[in-house]
Amino acid sequence: MIYDFFLKITGSNILASIIQSLLPLFIFILPFALFAVWLERKVSAHMQDRLGPMRVGKHGWLQTVADILKLIQKEDIVPNDADKPLFNIAPILVFVGSYAVFAAIPFSGAFIGSNIDLGIIFIIAASGFVVAGILMAGWASNNKYSLLGAMRSAAQIISYEIPTVLVVLTIIMITGTTNLATLSEMQTGHFWNWMIFGGPNFGIAKFIFIPFMIINFIIIYISTLAEVNRTPFDIPEAESELVSGYHTEYSGMKFAMFFLAEYANMFAVSAIVTALFFGGYQSPIGYLGNLFGAHWLIPIEQFIWFTAKGIFFVFVQMWLRWTLPRLRVDQLMAACWKYLIPIAFVNLIIIGLITVL
Amino acid sequence: MKEYFKNAWSALFTIFVGMKVTFKHLFVPAVTIQYPDVKLQLPERERNRLYVNMDDCIGCDQCARACPVDCISIETVKGLPGEDLGKTSNGKRKALWVTKFDIDFAKCCYCQLCVFPCPTECIYMTDVYEFSEFERSNLIYDFVTLTPQEREEKKINYAKFEAEKAAAKLAPAAVKPAESKEAPKP
Amino acid sequence: MNVYDIIFYLFAAITILSAFFVVTTRNIVYSAYYLLFTFFGVAGIYVLLGADFIAMVQLIVYVGGILILLLFGVMLTNRITSVEIRSGSIHVVPATIGVALFAGILLASMWNTEWKSVDTAAPAATTQNLGFLLIHQYTLVFELLGILLLIALIGAASMARK
Repeated sequence: MIYDFFLKITGSNILASIIQSLLPLFIFILPFALFAVWLERKVSAHMQDRLGPMRVGKHGWLQTVADILKLIQKEDIVPNDADKPLFNIAPILVFVGSYAVFAAIPFSGAFIGSNIDLGIIFIIAASGFVVAGILMAGWASNNKYSLLGAMRSAAQIISYEIPTVLVVLTIIMITGTTNLATLSEMQTGHFWNWMIFGGPNFGIAKFIFIPFMIINFIIIYISTLAEVNRTPFDIPEAESELVSGYHTEYSGMKFAMFFLAEYANMFAVSAIVTALFFGGYQSPIGYLGNLFGAHWLIPIEQFIWFTAKGIFFVFVQMWLRWTLPRLRVDQLMAACWKYLIPIAFVNLIIIGLITVL
Repeated sequence: MKEYFKNAWSALFTIFVGMKVTFKHLFVPAVTIQYPDVKLQLPERERNRLYVNMDDCIGCDQCARACPVDCISIETVKGLPGEDLGKTSNGKRKALWVTKFDIDFAKCCYCQLCVFPCPTECIYMTDVYEFSEFERSNLIYDFVTLTPQEREEKKINYAKFEAEKAAAKLAPAAVKPAESKEAPKP
Repeated sequence: MNVYDIIFYLFAAITILSAFFVVTTRNIVYSAYYLLFTFFGVAGIYVLLGADFIAMVQLIVYVGGILILLLFGVMLTNRITSVEIRSGSIHVVPATIGVALFAGILLASMWNTEWKSVDTAAPAATTQNLGFLLIHQYTLVFELLGILLLIALIGAASMARK
């Protein structure tokens, strides 16, 4: 594990823990956010037969760096009537919430922030801070659009957490573990061992599982999409109605923190979907490291596979964003309470029965 | 119950139909023109910045009068009798020194009305459309080919000539020489 | 004093200070947010006690559920900032007696408990044992509690409809 490695180098377990906890931020979230913003703009542009950013670097790949430089130089505006302490804490709380999620995400066999036994439950718990932070931001801005956006966002996140948790429960029922690293280890081998293809145990149950797993995957993908407030579920920051939702009043680096949290969340939910259904960090076709007998290569390959799968699902999120129009509030709630939750419940019961039999 | 599943299925199915459409568009070549690097071919009769060919201008002021926004201002000075001002390209003899021919492109509305009255076709539209400036005063274009000293010289020459003429007219009479010293400027 | 002690005191300080501010602050929204930190601190202490599942459930239920509900309630009321929070002292004598009794019980239980002061091994995961206990030993209680919650839920819904 990465912790032991740092412990060996630094000789101090405090220092090793601090380095390990900062590692995902610097080697993963920041570069990923830079890349994802660029990808978002490119994907949206090409889907609309445009080109997108082209001038900063080749095909605009340095555009986000330039944007960040611009954001750093911007004035940090706090509105006069805003609640200053809460206004300043809110972006930090939101970012803490979405960063805490990364502690339990297994990036590779050797790189998982904290291999806690309750990985998936921890992720669900930590996302509660995001809701609190969003409400705080909306209220502290003292702006009706911000408050409306925050309320909508919180209502949406809470409602859609239910189908997410129900789907997670089915996976816990099948595998008997809530530890994401164990879950990933179980899906080792080839892609037919992934949970979406019925899990690692070969038998008649595996083939019965497949259709239910696909329904499960669709439900969790839709509900996590709603949880990160992305189109078609972006009514909390609907530009045409609410300016920009709860971060309307934010500027400069505080806005950048919201932005970073949003992209970190996007990857986090993709990572959850990957870890639950698509084998986590496991390669679908075997490792080069095994082929050449170089075992130190395997964790690196696993990391690459994990990021590739995660980025693919982030890409699908963007793809959906430029395909579907925004839902109305009543449609949003109907989709959750009338469709996703009952179907997830029925799925839970059926899969429970299959597991018991 | 049947409608419930039909709804769910059609929602899911139509999402995939939409995704197929957008995915196809991902590979359609972009229609964007990278403007400063690549420029669109403008039509032949485009109306952009005016140009005045001063070699042909006879200073007739017709363009200034045609202008609906008064962005052209012209001042002329008559040439002296012996002076040869040259000819325009269609054979007309020039009689006036053009000492001021300013076009204010901040005002110009690119209507092309000034182009048609010109008897020598010396004012016309070009294909230049990138001439933004930081100062509004930089948008006043001066088309006169004479240097400032030359313009002053022409004015003084003509004033002198007028004065001499007046003096010559008055010389026989020799009455009230001081009266018409101030020759009215054209 | 090792790292865990420092972390414990940190969480304890967060809990107690924010609980203090929950009571004393004049702004309802501030109170609600101080409550968030109280819950967080308690969850941290649960983790240090080795009760990982309880800590997570604490976060999910209290931070993710109850607190958000509370905030919704507060924010949907008009006049959030100008609400008069009455914090005068009434019934001083009964309150003193009550507090003294409660403090006495707490102190007595603190003195009479044999505290473990030896270093124990890192606590193992509790989720599986908890699940076994709930399903094998305490099935009836568990089911009854579930039914109670369901009744409460249905009752709330029917009351809200009237």
